[in-house]
Amino acid sequence: MSLQVQGLRWGHAQPGGGWRQLFDNFELSCPTGQFVVVIGSNGSGKSTLLNLVAGTLQADAGSVQLEGRELVGMQDHRRARWIGRVMQNPLDGTAPGLTIAENLRLAECRRRSLFSLRGLAGLHPSRSDRRRYAELLEELGLPLADRVDTPVGQLSGGQRQTISLVMATLGQPRLLLLDEHTAALDPRAEATVMELTDRLVARLGTTTLMVTHSLEQALRHGDRLVMLQAGQLIGDWNAEERQQFTPATLRALYGSVTVGTHSSESP
Amino acid sequence: MLSIWIGACDQGLAYAGLALGVYLTLRVLNFADITVDGSFALGGGSAALLLSDHVAPPLALLVPMGLGALAGAVTGLIHTRLGVNDLFAGILTTTGLYSITLRLMGRSNIPLTDLRLTIDSWPDLGLASDGRWLLALLLVVAGLIGLLTLLLATDLGLALRALGNNPVMARSNGVSTRRGLTFGIAAANALVALAGALVATYQGFADVTMGLGSLILGLGAVIVGETVLRPRTVPMALVAVVLGSVLFRAMIALALQLGMDPVDLKLATALLLLAALGLGRLRIPGLSDAGGRS
Repeated sequence: MSLQVQGLRWGHAQPGGGWRQLFDNFELSCPTGQFVVVIGSNGSGKSTLLNLVAGTLQADAGSVQLEGRELVGMQDHRRARWIGRVMQNPLDGTAPGLTIAENLRLAECRRRSLFSLRGLAGLHPSRSDRRRYAELLEELGLPLADRVDTPVGQLSGGQRQTISLVMATLGQPRLLLLDEHTAALDPRAEATVMELTDRLVARLGTTTLMVTHSLEQALRHGDRLVMLQAGQLIGDWNAEERQQFTPATLRALYGSVTVGTHSSESP
Repeated sequence: MLSIWIGACDQGLAYAGLALGVYLTLRVLNFADITVDGSFALGGGSAALLLSDHVAPPLALLVPMGLGALAGAVTGLIHTRLGVNDLFAGILTTTGLYSITLRLMGRSNIPLTDLRLTIDSWPDLGLASDGRWLLALLLVVAGLIGLLTLLLATDLGLALRALGNNPVMARSNGVSTRRGLTFGIAAANALVALAGALVATYQGFADVTMGLGSLILGLGAVIVGETVLRPRTVPMALVAVVLGSVLFRAMIALALQLGMDPVDLKLATALLLLAALGLGRLRIPGLSDAGGRS
């Protein structure tokens, strides 16, 4: 298994007092290269799950293993070397004051420790780096190939999100986390970003967890669909099994206690 | 009359390291670092001590840089390891540095008036001592700009810039905030300590209070330089900051020429910066965005 979440526990204090145990002995396993789409109503724990896997939230107990490597307790920047992440807000994933090439360069170096002598070797992004990035963007069909020297802050939200997505796949990450990454985009930009997502995931074969509120996306993208409800996995379908649903029938399942053809991985 | 302006130019160049250090922390790393007040005096004091002990001038400039870097690293570690707010971490280090500098110097003031320097034998460009200093300082500052330009164009420099520009993005791309900030603040304070050493040598004495208001002086240089040149690239920004330092000194020289009492200098500088902040010329998170509008 590429990603193995075992015995995950996480809870939080509630504003009015009291404690909410969202995840209690949560389990999820994904084989290498699987593209898993996570859906669920607000508060079901979708984004929290991604944050726990990414380490932006600390699990109270349990283990998150990526290709046998334990991520819980690892230093943030070390964990980030193995994970490419695109967040909901296009402003979060890129540095606006740096050019497209500079942003891509940083992502490409995710595995290296830059605060060492290696970080001083050579001037980057060099001319050949910039040419390589322009070729990559062209190959991906993005109309940004001639703008690699443009500061990312000058791009539209959709363009910034495509750059975030390309960045998340650079530097050979072993896990791709997409957290409602099209939620802030208009329908056209959303289509572009989702098409690019499919292409990049297929090209790299990276294990992917994508959280979405769009049931259309959930039925059209990925190899596996899982549904969360109050921190529990209440539905788990492969691409074939999910064909039984339409967005309306899927929506009707929101709020159910247990659904699905096989929920062996639910706690 | 000319010598006043050449003198202002010399002073501006001597203070350039301070401006470059403030630029590195405030503009590149987005970190308001008050350590500079302490590391400027530490640089000046330690250089004066070494020079009065007849240590070779290059070493008397390098050792203060090392001490400045150490001071900056302490602030960086207090901030990143203990989670202390940036301003407070700097205040803690600066307060401690006052005693350390005083201990190092052994007294509050070290005069360097009898000092014979290597540059006394340099060509004077027809401007006597001011000309020699101009030449020496130009060389040092050009070297600093070159080195910083190269540093900021490496992967390490890119990581520093990303950290200041969007720390969330930098972290999620494997950049260590702890190492980045500590390294950046240390490098900035090395530059500031070098400025302290150069200023002490140039003015012929070091005083334990010479660092008071350094952050404000450095900020002034950054604002003036950026306003005049409006730089778009890193090398131009560095040139702008140095130019700002020189122009800032020229403004002070002009104010003194017009009869301002030197006692009022720091007040005038503070008011000038306050006006710049108030007019929105300078927007620095943590310094200017918590005002009355929120």
